Amino acid sequence: MTVIKLTTQAYCKMLLHAAKYPHCAVNGLLVAENQKRKDGQPVLCVDCVPLFHGTLALAPMMEIALTLIDTWCKENKYVIAGYYQANERIKETRPNQFAEKVAARIAENFSEAALIMVDNSNISMGCYDPAISVFEHHDNKWKCRDASIDCCEDWSEAQKIMSALLEDRSYDSLIDFDNHLDDLRNDWTNPEINKSILYLC
Amino acid sequence: MASVSDMYDVTWEEMRDKLRKWREENYRNSEQIVEVGEELIQEHASKLGDDIWIIYEQVMIAALDCSRDDLATTCLHELKKQFQGSHRVKRLAGMRLEALERYDEAFKMYNDILQDDSTNTAARKRKIAILKAQGKSTEAIRELNEYLEQFVGDQEAWHELAELYINEHDYAKAAFSLEELMMTNPHNHLYCEQYAEVKYTQGGIENLELSRKYFAQALKLNNRNMRALFGLYMSASHIGASPKASAKVKKDNVKYAAWAASQINRAYQLAGHGTKETKCSLKAVEEMLESMQIMPS
Repeated sequence: MTVIKLTTQAYCKMLLHAAKYPHCAVNGLLVAENQKRKDGQPVLCVDCVPLFHGTLALAPMMEIALTLIDTWCKENKYVIAGYYQANERIKETRPNQFAEKVAARIAENFSEAALIMVDNSNISMGCYDPAISVFEHHDNKWKCRDASIDCCEDWSEAQKIMSALLEDRSYDSLIDFDNHLDDLRNDWTNPEINKSILYLC
Repeated sequence: MASVSDMYDVTWEEMRDKLRKWREENYRNSEQIVEVGEELIQEHASKLGDDIWIIYEQVMIAALDCSRDDLATTCLHELKKQFQGSHRVKRLAGMRLEALERYDEAFKMYNDILQDDSTNTAARKRKIAILKAQGKSTEAIRELNEYLEQFVGDQEAWHELAELYINEHDYAKAAFSLEELMMTNPHNHLYCEQYAEVKYTQGGIENLELSRKYFAQALKLNNRNMRALFGLYMSASHIGASPKASAKVKKDNVKYAAWAASQINRAYQLAGHGTKETKCSLKAVEEMLESMQIMPS
């Protein structure tokens, strides 16, 4: 089964989104480079697009976001490779029906799509453990992948940078699709945060 | 550690006014409230007059949000001293217990308030909040419905109910709750728009048509509501392409969708101002709209 890995940028932006709205559920998409992969090579999610916070389970804005980001992906030779969600309650780490539906829709276009649930209780300033669980599609069900498989391309780099971003309160400037809909000038590709991450690398 | 007033070059009056704005508009920017409020309390308490009590309450709740039990306890202590035996303060004590996940003790505290005063809505709502925090959504929904039978005009409660139903994927009941809100707030474009989203999610041609109507209504109430504009585009496009729609309905909806698309493009152009990043966005939107162009059959 193909393994999904995240770059530091993808991992950090995802967690910054969760950190920006601690009292809400948040969700978003993960994108990978659209290229032929050799057998056994992992799918590398290079970036993350934070989508919504608050009430997630409504269709129209999700459809707009998927279509718009799909178009953006095509221009940048990316493909939507995954969906992440952080639930409202700290102890709720399983995907709900809506998450499974969106992930299944993504999988129609990209068979190795992953569904990632953020483990809220593992988010800390020190970032001691990866705060995510990866679910993969087997026999029409989403099953949680073994937690011992490394989810990040370079965990120690991701850990160090994530910690620095949290200290800096970079999440204050993270833009998600909801923010974009509130004011079209808000850029959901988050170029400033991308620059900060690159700078810290 | 630099003080807020130094870092942002603000006076204590400006800090107090900011807190008031956040309080009146129900913002949940707890980290900022704690930063500003803590300094206000520590450095300028004597200048605040009677405002200080409501500020203690606001800062205490924000402190709970930020796991600052030390600050929350200080605020609670001052409020208890000033307002002995107050139910409002007792509710805050209960919220602190909730924040520490001592739900049974919090529950008991709220029941004590209700025994004294069975009409205390704040205590009843906190009990429902505990159920929600414990993941007991079905019970929370049941209790909230019972509460609303008695307190039919509580907007906040109706909205909470709608959101609980949406999270449980019970869109029909969510729609019903939003209908209550729209009836009492016919000029609120956000309720209209959220109702339209629920109808769209329910699916089926009738719901799509309703959803289009309510997106249009939301747009009429606020012509800068982008969600309503996008929603109008999506619902009209789907109806225009639906095999179940009559030829006339399809034709009309294709027109609505085309209008919405041009408005969306215009909105992005206005926002663009020529920066490189927003140019990308505009191009992506144009391409998306083109690719979704429904040709009238």
